[in-house]
Amino acid sequence: MSTHSFHLSDPYLFESELSEDDRMIMETAREYAQTKLEPRALKGNQEEMFDISMAKEMGELGLLGATIDPKYGGVGASQTAYGLVAREVERVDSGYRSFMSVQSSLVMYPISIFGTEEQKERFLPRLASGDIIGCFGLTEPDHGSDPGSMTTNAQKTDGGWILNGAKMWITNSPIADVAVVWAKAKESKEDKPVIRGFLVEKGMPGFTAPVTKHKMSLRASSTGELVFEDVFVPDANVFPDIRGLKGPFMCLNSARYGIAWGAVGAAEFCYEKSRQYVLDRKQFGHPLAANQLPQTKLADMLTDITTMQMLAWRLGKLKDDGRDHHAMVSLAKRHNVGKALQIARVARDMHGGNGISGEYRIIHHVVNLESVNTYEGTYDIHGLILGREITGIQAFVPKG
Amino acid sequence: MIHFYVCLKQVPDVYAPLQIKDGELIQDSGRMVLNAYDASALEEALVLTEKHGGKVTAVLAGPEKAKETLRKGLAMGADEGVHIVTEEGSAYDSLYYAGLLAAFFRDKEYHFISCGKQSQDTDAGLTGSMLAQLLELPYATNAVGLTLEDNRLLVKRQGDHGQEMIELPSPGLVTCSNDMNEPRIPSLKGIMQSKKKPVETIQASSLTGDGIRSVTTLLGYEEKPKREPGQKFEGDPEELAITIAGLLDSKENLM
Repeated sequence: MSTHSFHLSDPYLFESELSEDDRMIMETAREYAQTKLEPRALKGNQEEMFDISMAKEMGELGLLGATIDPKYGGVGASQTAYGLVAREVERVDSGYRSFMSVQSSLVMYPISIFGTEEQKERFLPRLASGDIIGCFGLTEPDHGSDPGSMTTNAQKTDGGWILNGAKMWITNSPIADVAVVWAKAKESKEDKPVIRGFLVEKGMPGFTAPVTKHKMSLRASSTGELVFEDVFVPDANVFPDIRGLKGPFMCLNSARYGIAWGAVGAAEFCYEKSRQYVLDRKQFGHPLAANQLPQTKLADMLTDITTMQMLAWRLGKLKDDGRDHHAMVSLAKRHNVGKALQIARVARDMHGGNGISGEYRIIHHVVNLESVNTYEGTYDIHGLILGREITGIQAFVPKG
Repeated sequence: MIHFYVCLKQVPDVYAPLQIKDGELIQDSGRMVLNAYDASALEEALVLTEKHGGKVTAVLAGPEKAKETLRKGLAMGADEGVHIVTEEGSAYDSLYYAGLLAAFFRDKEYHFISCGKQSQDTDAGLTGSMLAQLLELPYATNAVGLTLEDNRLLVKRQGDHGQEMIELPSPGLVTCSNDMNEPRIPSLKGIMQSKKKPVETIQASSLTGDGIRSVTTLLGYEEKPKREPGQKFEGDPEELAITIAGLLDSKENLM
């Protein structure tokens, strides 16, 4: 037998490989998530409520846009640290992680990469502190996996642009002060439209953000639409140089990386709860854990979690070293969320009737991960991204 | 300018799963954390110096790997750190640490030393008092509230019969309960800045003085003995009362 102990939630000891900075940031995120977020997650899910004070709490701790330059309110944390924060927040709830991911990767990141100096100074520090909230508009009612066919459009006018169209399934939209919106822009009527990014602010005439009702998933975060009816967006609120789908895809790539980590946290929660549950619950005079089926289920969960941890950790290192490729992110997002969803479903099963009760929090993870498996590139679309890399042939557009 | 020294200890995460195998304690997670009582002591020192001005120095005696816990203290807001580096894997007792800290403090100037009232791993609750004795300092234990008035510390302490107010002159020592505050979570900014704060490293072997010795020996760890199952009595209340009174008299000798 080994002289070392077997770590029950980090079997290959990846946490011991983290830098001191990254580990300390992880500890802060864990402490915050467990003491401040977990106590609110049951109510948030059951009553479909996002507690907006979380934005400022996360901002005060520096959890929003942590990788951004300190000049604009970030702390210049590593990509690994950003991923570790996502893991800790999603250990509590994918909805809270969605809020954090959107603010960090889909709003602060594009402003910091594509924005003018004035836009950076105007928005980033307040987004970092949580004083204002952002959202990201790409998906439309009729255009999900195929955003290139979007119909939201912008027409040049004096001093700005006139925006028309609608976006759907937008995390944070009803509570957002600023929306990063991607639309097909035309300088003149005859121009070929090109996708550009706009910073649409709450209160601009013609801009509304209705709440999406009857969600059965991600109920602890706020989701809505973005509707533009002849919204005038001044030139000062347009990203100057970025053109085409590259812009939104760079943002999504950053967010998807965080999701690959977040899924680890959700899966770890489900596994740890299931382990405790089968040890505590006795049937036929013995703990459930004394049976072969629960044992192999736990073994499968831990094996999958270990591979998920290895992928996320290695991908973080590759990003920190500047050696990442978008297909690496697709591989990790697809694998980790797919496995997390399977683990959550098995955990639901292992909890028996209690698995459907919000009290045990397993069912929240199950229904949340159904969304996470779909958003930011569905499981199958990431398969096609990988397939294109592997074969050199794109299969997004059917050839039938 | 008030100067606090706060003593910190790194302890195993007591909420993580633990096992005992062949008399050895095995931590499944291997996670080490800042002792929660020390975190409260640090929080209170930070609150007082933020309000009245002053300086907080965090002192940690522990092995090399414990420096991460000292850094947490700096990330929370301590101005500077001292790491007294002890040998890895040694089972020192409270007197050893008190002796070590006393040797360190002997030639230092300060207003107050603040410690957690005990540590979460052994729950001995001895080091603070022993340190005060070795340094011949006035001290108060189990503080649940601290107020600063003209360089005197008003200590609200939880005594056996209720809360007591003690006025502690400077220099003095206080040990803190975790009931007095909710220690702040270090912000990411604090974590990044903590790298730049000064940390003095002292080898434990370079400190000399009375009391730097362990007087107890750790023989091994054992599981807590299993509790005997209780007895259940059913029936007529009057008869039950007579039966139970009889048992309390004959078995427990309480009557």
